[in-house]
Amino acid sequence: MGRLLLKFDDAVLREVSLGSRAVTIGRAPDNDIPIDNLAVSNYHARIYTEAGRLVIEDLNSLNGTFVNDQRVERAALHDGDTIVVGKHHIVVDESHDAALPLDPGRKVVAPKVDETMVLDTKQRREMLQLAVDAGERSQLAPSRMRVPALKVLSGKTDQKEYVLSSKLTVIGKSEMATVRLRGWFAPDVAAQINKREDGYYLGRADRVPKVNGQPITGLTRLNDGDLIEVDGVQLNFLYRD
Amino acid sequence: MRVDIGARTDVGRVRSNNEDCYRLVPALNLFVLSDGMGGEAHGEVASALAVETIAAHCLDTANNPSIPLLGEPRADLSDKTNRLASAVHLANHRIHEAALSDPAHRGMGATILAAWLDGQRMSLVHVGDSRAYLLRGGVLEQLTLDHSLVAEQVRRGLITPQQADTSTMQSVLIRALGTRPEVEVDADEQLLLDGDSVLLCSDGLTRMVTDPEIASNLITHSEAQAAADRLVELANENGGEDNITVVVLHLRLGSEGLLARLRRWAGGPSDAASSGGGQ
Repeated sequence: MGRLLLKFDDAVLREVSLGSRAVTIGRAPDNDIPIDNLAVSNYHARIYTEAGRLVIEDLNSLNGTFVNDQRVERAALHDGDTIVVGKHHIVVDESHDAALPLDPGRKVVAPKVDETMVLDTKQRREMLQLAVDAGERSQLAPSRMRVPALKVLSGKTDQKEYVLSSKLTVIGKSEMATVRLRGWFAPDVAAQINKREDGYYLGRADRVPKVNGQPITGLTRLNDGDLIEVDGVQLNFLYRD
Repeated sequence: MRVDIGARTDVGRVRSNNEDCYRLVPALNLFVLSDGMGGEAHGEVASALAVETIAAHCLDTANNPSIPLLGEPRADLSDKTNRLASAVHLANHRIHEAALSDPAHRGMGATILAAWLDGQRMSLVHVGDSRAYLLRGGVLEQLTLDHSLVAEQVRRGLITPQQADTSTMQSVLIRALGTRPEVEVDADEQLLLDGDSVLLCSDGLTRMVTDPEIASNLITHSEAQAAADRLVELANENGGEDNITVVVLHLRLGSEGLLARLRRWAGGPSDAASSGGGQ
């Protein structure tokens, strides 16, 4: 029946045999061809056989499905066609008969590199910058304009609201604390919030804070609207516009 | 606060020379580690230049804080973290210049990883694939992201972590000191707690020893030097394919008792608590 080859640059990441079932493509892990890239919609496209022909259908994806550089909503596929989803390519190979098992990754052809080396700018751009695409930028842009803040709902603190502008925010009585607790028995360092690439994480210090009523068990990613309780103080974590 | 420090570097069982090095500056609670690269081009020159430049810059600026910062200071980082990042920019400049001026050194470079403690606050900066780990409450967490091609591929969803572990491209870095005139430095800050352990290490450890092995070793050996020695032994037992360098920090903050706190409120001297004895 042929197969589909998922490629990034020249590397074959995965191959999927074509059968009677439809093959789905998308960012969600339950797709037949999952592509974990922000430019790809959760359920991006599907490929199926109709009246003996292979057909691709875009599932109203945000960034579109392209066949041989033409954006398509629904199109017939032929041997050798290249489908572009995000920055990945899927090549239609109908000449291939034997249905090979999935063998992700091991087909990446690369020389054995023993000595540590550094890619120069051009090589790096070629190998990686391709993946920095419009999808990722448009995903990051809106959240960057929203300011993370802690709003004090109850308890003794030195301010009613704090904007989280630092890599490390300390909650406690200490002078280095951003959120200064005023309670008599408040610890110097009650809890901490760390800024990371993908958001803000709450961690314990001398107290174990609660998020939405549950004591945290480790670094806990904060979501818009979360209620934090630490040492008798209630804080609302929110992203302000 | 008391820091129990252990450190060791070892050539491993395959390489003929050690291109790793570290520098401890206990007076500043500054700990620096570097993994040189360039083989014939003398990676050990690059890594030594990296750690010495950073230690010297931090010592100089501790005495004279008005020395200007290199690189753009970031508003979300503390002065100390910005200073440490500045030291890394200076090290990059020095290595790059040395590589350009001497044909024998062309192509040399190094990773860098530096931790600077200010009370309970830790500034952490790095470039390359040397890693920092934090062990807290028995849970090991990697604090740094590798600047390697495979790590970048995993972050972009191109390959799985399992594929990265067996990739033949593990030695390919996308960022290092000395290979370009400017370098992007990753910086982080952590609030350390009583009982925490921090591990700084080169990839010669992390490619040979698994995270669970690292965690159990740090938990088992309450003496930092014993933990460092054992980690190097483990890496060698598992093959020792590359140079191995580890710096282990066990934090013993000595929490303040109620009495000392009452005394502080009363405005009395609290020097009894600062000796680090605590509980």
